[in-house]
Parts: sequence; C-alpha cells; structure tokens
Amino acid sequence: MIPLLLDLIPRRKIDVGTLLGNRDIPGLVNALSSRNPDVQSEAMRALGEIGSAAVGQIVPALKQRNRRLRLGAIGALAEIQDPGAVPALAEMMRDPVSEIRWQAAIALGEIGSQEAIAFLIPGLEDADKYVRYGSALSLAKIGYQPAGDAGWAWFYAARQDWDRLRELGSYALPPLHNLLRDNDSEVRVRAVRMIGDIGDGDSGPVLIGALGDPDRQVRWEAVLASQKCGVPPMCLPRGLCRRPRMQKNPLVAGFLNFLLPGLGYGYLGKWWGIMIFQIELSITLWLHQTETAKYGVDVGEFYTYLVLFPLYFLLAIHAWYLAKNLPEEPA
Amino acid sequence: MRYDQFRSIGIFSVVPSIHGRGQSVPDIGQLKQRGDVSSLISLLNNPDPSVGWRAAEALGTCGAMAVPPLIRAARSPSALVRIGAIEALAAIRDPRALDSLTRIARRDRLLEVRWAAVLALGELGVPEAVPVLVPLLRDASPYLRYGAATALDRAGWQPGDIGDQVYLMIGRQDWTGIRKYGTDALLPLRDLLRDADEKSREEIVSVLREIGDPQACGSCRNALKDRNPRVRWKAVLAAIDCGLASHEIPLTVAGRERTGPDPVAAAVLNFLFLGIGYNYIGKWWGFPVFITYMFIIFLAQFIFAELSYPPVLALVIAYPVTALLGIHTYYLAERMSDEEM
Repeated sequence: MIPLLLDLIPRRKIDVGTLLGNRDIPGLVNALSSRNPDVQSEAMRALGEIGSAAVGQIVPALKQRNRRLRLGAIGALAEIQDPGAVPALAEMMRDPVSEIRWQAAIALGEIGSQEAIAFLIPGLEDADKYVRYGSALSLAKIGYQPAGDAGWAWFYAARQDWDRLRELGSYALPPLHNLLRDNDSEVRVRAVRMIGDIGDGDSGPVLIGALGDPDRQVRWEAVLASQKCGVPPMCLPRGLCRRPRMQKNPLVAGFLNFLLPGLGYGYLGKWWGIMIFQIELSITLWLHQTETAKYGVDVGEFYTYLVLFPLYFLLAIHAWYLAKNLPEEPA
Repeated sequence: MRYDQFRSIGIFSVVPSIHGRGQSVPDIGQLKQRGDVSSLISLLNNPDPSVGWRAAEALGTCGAMAVPPLIRAARSPSALVRIGAIEALAAIRDPRALDSLTRIARRDRLLEVRWAAVLALGELGVPEAVPVLVPLLRDASPYLRYGAATALDRAGWQPGDIGDQVYLMIGRQDWTGIRKYGTDALLPLRDLLRDADEKSREEIVSVLREIGDPQACGSCRNALKDRNPRVRWKAVLAAIDCGLASHEIPLTVAGRERTGPDPVAAAVLNFLFLGIGYNYIGKWWGFPVFITYMFIIFLAQFIFAELSYPPVLALVIAYPVTALLGIHTYYLAERMSDEEM
C-alpha cells in the first residue's frame, strides 16, 4: 500500500546515463522499479553493460515484493546473460505472478545455458499460456529436442501448434487436458475440440469435468467431444450440473426489499427499483409529518411503521418470489 | 460403448474425492450388498461428487425393487438426488419409470435434470417414450435436442417425414447433413432460430446461406435482428445470397434487439431523480450527482418555506432542468446501447 501511495508523488526523472557513468549499481537496480517503462529499459540495458559484476546486487531484488522491480531485475539478468543467474531465475519460474514467470522463462532462454532446460520444461505445463509459450520459445532457442512423442506433445501444446499436436494422437492428450486449466476460454475450447478429434475414451473424465466449465462454449464443445470419445450421454447431465450459476439469491432480494423497499428489485436488475425506493422514502416522510401533525405529539414514527411494515413485508415476499422464478441462465 | 461398460472402465473413480480429511468414506459396496436402497439414495446428495457417482451406480444395480423409492427420489428438491435417481432408473430400465421420467423431461426446473430424464427415456427402450421425445427435438435448448436425438436413435425411431428428419439432424448437430435437404429444411431452421445458444444460431444462418433460397428471406430478416453481432454478420451474408433486397438489410439491422441500457428508463430516472439515470448507464459519478441534487432540493425547499413560498416551488423550478437532462441521458443511452453492428 505504502509503495503505491509513494508512486503518486511526482518524482524527478532518473538519469540512467549518469548512474551508468558513476557505475552506481544500487541506483540502477532502484531504477528498475520505475513506473516509466523507458527508464526501466534503460536501466536494464545499463546493467547489461556493466555485466556479471552487477549480478550479485540484482539477485536480491528478485525477492522484493515490488512487481515492477522483480520484472526489471529479471530483464537485467537477461541482458547480462550470466549463467550464474540461472538458479535465481529458476526460482522465479515458481512465482505466483504469471508475468514474472513469463519474464523468467524468456530470461532463461536469453542466457542460453543448457542448465536452464530442466527449469523450463515444467514451464510447458504452466496454467498460463504466456508462460507456456515463453518456455517453449526459450527451449527452442537453447536447442532443446524433446525425447519422444510425449515430450513433443507438451512442446507443441505450449506453442499452440494445433496441427502438429493433432498428428500426435493420444500422446497429445495429457497436454490437452492440462490446457483445460488455462484462463483463456478460447484455448479451452480448442483443447476440448481437439480432444474430441482424437476421440480417445480415456478423455471421458476430463470432458465430464469440462462440462462444469464457466464458459458456455467450452461446455457445449465438451458435449460434442464426449460424443466422439464414446462417453455415454447418460454420464453428461451430472457433469453439467457442476457449472457455476449466476443466480440471484431470493433471500437477499427479499431482505433488501424489506429493509429498503425497492432496492431488492434493483438487486434483481429492475431499473425501476430505485424509483420505488424513492417513492417509498417520500411516502414515509409524508406519513410521518401527517400523523405527527394530526396527534400533536411525535407519534408519527409508530403509526408510519404500523402502516408501512405490512407493505414492506409484501414487497419482500414479491422480490423473493421474483428471484425464485427468474429464468435460468442458458446452459 | 455402453453406459455400464463405460462405468466399468472406472470413469467414476477418477472424479476427485474430498474425503481423506478425517471424514469417513461411506462403504457403498456394503450398502449395495445389503440392498439398502434408502441409505444409497441419501448418499446421492453427498458433498463428495465421487460418493454421489458411486451411489447412483450402485442403485443402478439394485434392480426392480429400487424403482419405487427411486421414483420418489426423482421428486427430491435436490438436483443431485434427482439426477442420481434418474441415472439409476436409466440403468435399471424398468418401464414403471416412464411416467415419472416423462414428467421430469417436460417440466423440471433445471435443464440438467430434464436432459438426464430425456436420455433416461431413451435407455428405457419402450416405444411409449417416443411421443414424449419427438416434440423435444423442437426445444430451444441444444442440450435437450441433442438428448432427444440420442434417445430416439437408441429407441430405433425413424422420422415419418422430412421435417422430423431435419429436426433429428439438427438435434444431432449434423449441420453438413442438413444442407442436402435444401428448401425442405427451411421451416425447421426458421423455427430453431429462437435457440438460446448463439453458436447454433450461427450454424443455422450459415446453412440458410448455403441453401440460398428466397424463401429463407424471412428467417434472414429475423437473424439480422439477432442480439449477437456474429449471428447478425452471418445473416447479412445469408440475406444477400438468399436475394433479400440490399437496401432492406441496413434497415433491418437497425431494428435489432438492443442489449445495452434502456434509453427510456435512463431518461425517466434522470428526470425524476437526477443522477440516477447517469448511474444506470454506467457513469460512476451519477450517484454523487443525485446526492448533490437532493441536497439542493431540500435546501431550496427549506429556504422557500422560510420566505413563505410553497416548498413545492423548488421542484417546479427543478423539473424543467431535469427534463432537459433526461433527454440528454436518453440520447447518451441510445448511443451506448449495442453500438457494434
């Protein structure tokens, strides 16, 4: 939070040239966290010019919480191309942030050390397509040759080389199953389609799992693919039943309408809910004034709620009923 | 591959189990041996999906004695219990389940449960299921159409006319096969343009384009007004190939169903509660505008009351202004609603 607030304070542009002239490595490492991508790039190149002497001071920056600093530090190590940085970069392949893992995969490829291959191969199984693609490109750059068809399948899946992947038949299934974890629904659709094209019965459980996908297109493709894989149709509805539902909660709608009449309708997406809320507010105030004026003492509140509470209750039941009967989201 | 064979290759053992965290795994094998149907039914709702799968599988082997309790379970409020019971009834294949499955296939609230019932009707293998399944080929859901087509195939049903044949092919998603029916396929294709699934509507419009018959112009007009831009674009191509007058196409597209905010609602809201209309069309500052407006109105009413003017004068002055802003919101909302053609 504090670094974010500090970012709001305008700062003088860092003169990377001077820092390089002074061989101010800590200053250059600090410049790697700049919000200005040009300054970051200049600092990376400057550290690259300094070379291996800077590695020892860049590596600790990889452990900092600042994401830009970590990205910049990885970029600087890629510029320096010192094989001694491989273990530190390999560590970054396990970073929870996908951009960092992607950058680390690219940096390992830039260094070009054979030692990096062992750390890049797991990158082919990453859930993020950028990391997989970066790992595959880096492996190709280092001259990695997968041992057999199974290895090539992971490699082609990471490169999204669908035609070659299809040619590998059943060998392609493990990487295709892995692609179903991808955040990009387009990738998942293609993976499910290809699983169907391969038509192997062993993919049944994975396809049934794909029926619970958050994306409609993936779910429907899983139905079609399961047909090609010989999955008995009777097994499919249960899989579809696991799909996420965006249903409105009837109790929430009722509760809102009871406490703040009209807002329960707003929760259900009715644009006129706010109007009912305003009208109800005006009626409440008017009743309060009228009753108080009638009895001369401040009994308005009691009478107001005596009249309005049954109405609120009815509105709550109505909102509950509406929510309960909202049409189901198309599967 | 049949349902029971598929079960035997262990598909259900692959479904992840949530047990192993101090919870005891129910001994389904023992319950099955004892023929304890009611305990097995109670397991259908188990939070562990693998237990539900295996309980349904075990119930499917319990034979005719399990049918009456399973029919009762098929009316359970829990969707998982209903699906499990239907799966078991499908495996037992007892004709007594026909009425219950028919009712579920026609009326259940959940699509998945209806789909399971449709497939189970096919598993029963009784001719009485056919009249229930045939109308479902015309359902708006591709899942139910697919289920009905699969079930009818299993029942060995042969369509009586070309129309039914085309519906069956659409149900099977056999888009290539439909093309050869040419103009005979137009009526079912037009009927199913109301499909909830965009992909199916796209396929239907593509087939209309390939048929390229002037009789398809009406369907093309409907598709030109589709809420999905991809369907609309395919409809433009289809309309040209079917011979719809070119100058009609932009007019029809302009009359499409808009998916953005309703301009009238935005205007009414801004007229009555200035700012809420802006909020409705997605402007974050709408609510602060509303609060400010209300504050000014209350303040004005107070001042007018102090000056012995009627407080309602504040609203009389405000409404012409909010009316203008209401019109402004109307045009803003109209521009925002579904700009992509």
